[in-house]
Amino acid sequence: MDTFHHQAHFWGRLTLIGMIIATLMAPFYLSFVLGAHPGWETIIAGLIGYAAFIGVMWVLEPITYYPTLGIAGTYMAFMQGNVANLCLPCSASAQSAVNAETGSRKAEIAGTIGIAVACLVNISAIVVVILSGAYIVSILPPAVEAAFNFVLPAIFGAILGQFAYKTPLYGGIALAIGIIVLFSPIPDTVKIVFAVILTVSVIVLLERRKDKRQEEKSTT
Amino acid sequence: MKEVMTVANSIPLWIIAFLVVALVIFQAVIFLRITTKTAPNVGMSANEVRSAVKTGVISSIGPSFGIAIVVVALITLIGSPLTLMRIGIIGSAATETAAAGIGAQSFGVQLGGDDFTTQALTNVVWTMCLGGTGWLIFTALFTKSLGNIQKRVAKKSAKTMATVSLAAMLGVFGFLTSEEMMLSVNHTITAIVAAGSMVIIMGIAEKTKTQWLKEWALGFALIIGMSTGYLSTLI
Repeated sequence: MDTFHHQAHFWGRLTLIGMIIATLMAPFYLSFVLGAHPGWETIIAGLIGYAAFIGVMWVLEPITYYPTLGIAGTYMAFMQGNVANLCLPCSASAQSAVNAETGSRKAEIAGTIGIAVACLVNISAIVVVILSGAYIVSILPPAVEAAFNFVLPAIFGAILGQFAYKTPLYGGIALAIGIIVLFSPIPDTVKIVFAVILTVSVIVLLERRKDKRQEEKSTT
Repeated sequence: MKEVMTVANSIPLWIIAFLVVALVIFQAVIFLRITTKTAPNVGMSANEVRSAVKTGVISSIGPSFGIAIVVVALITLIGSPLTLMRIGIIGSAATETAAAGIGAQSFGVQLGGDDFTTQALTNVVWTMCLGGTGWLIFTALFTKSLGNIQKRVAKKSAKTMATVSLAAMLGVFGFLTSEEMMLSVNHTITAIVAAGSMVIIMGIAEKTKTQWLKEWALGFALIIGMSTGYLSTLI
C-alpha cells in the first residue's frame, strides 16, 4: 500500500503539473502568438475578480473532500473536476459493490477504480457531445432533457440514501445539519465546509460515546 | 463577434484542447493500472476489480450526461475547443460561465456583446485558465501533506479515521441534498424518491445477495428519481 501511495503521489503530481502547463498554453498562444494580448493589468483584474468569487475554494475544497477521496482520488478529482456530482458518487458505488468498509484499504482501492473509470466515461461523453457540435443533445426528446434538470438532487439524494441505509441515524443527522447550515448566516462558499466539520464532529462524538458504553458493558 | 469565433475555433486551440483531454485520459489509465496492481494486496479479487470497474461505468453515465448537457450553453460563448479544455478538467459549467463573465467585465466589455474582441476573448481565457490553476497547484503541492496527516491519525486510531471518512461523506451529501431540496418542491420530491429507492434497492440486493443489483443501484436510483421529478412537474 505504501508503494501505491508513493506511485500515486508521483503520477498525480506529474500529471497535474503537465496539466497546468497545458492549460496555460491556450492564453499564451492567444496573447503572444496571435498577438491579441489584452495587457497584464486587465488579466490580473480578471484573476482578482475570480479569486474573490471562488478563490477560497482552491484550498477549502481539496481539504474538505480529501478524507472521502483518498490520495489517488484527490489527484484525479481535482484534475478532472466534478467532485461531488461525479467522482464521489462513483467512488461510493464502487466501494459498496465490493462490500468494502468505508475508510479501509480495500475501500480506497475500489473507490479509486470507480473514480478513474468515471473520469474516462465523463471525458468521452464530453468529447462526443462537443465533436458532434451538440447534435446529440439537440436530438434528445424534450422530456428527457427536462428530466435532466433533476439529475443533481437525484445523485445527491441517492448517495445520501446509500449511506443512510447502513446508518439511518447518521444520515438523518447529516441532512438536519445540512438544512441548519443552509439557513445560517454564513457566506455561501464556506457553508459546505461548515456542514462537513459539524457532521464529522457530531458523528465522531457519538461513536466515542458508543465505544465507551460498550467498554463499560464489557468490564461490568 | 464572428471574427472572435473563428479564432476561438481555430486549429491551434483544438490541438491544445486535445492535449488536455489526452492528459486526463493518461492520468485515469495510469491510476487504473496502479490500483489494479495493488488490489490483490488489499484482499480484492480479480472479480471484485471487474465489479468495481463495471459499477464505475454504470454509475457515471447519468452524471456524465448531465454534465455534457450543460456544456452546450458554454459552446456559444467561448467556442468548442475552449469549452472542451475547460469542462474536461476542474471547473463546472457554472464556474466557467461566471469566470468568463468576470474576464470580460475586467476588460470592460459584455460577454458575447458587439464589442467582444479577440483581445477580450484572450482576457476571458486568461481568467478561466489562471483561476482554474488554483486547484491544480494546491492539490499538486499539498495532497502529500494531507496524506501524512491522515497517516498520523490512522496510526493513533484506525477506527477514528474510518469514522471521519464516513462522516465527511455524509456531511457533504447531507448539505448538497438539502441545498437541492430547497430549490423547489419537485427537487425535494426527486431527492426523497432517489434516496428512498436507493435504500430499497440496497435492501433487496443485500437480502438476496444480488451482485449485479448493487452495481446498478445508483443508475436505477438516478433514473427513478429523475423521472419522478420530471413527472411531478406535469401535475
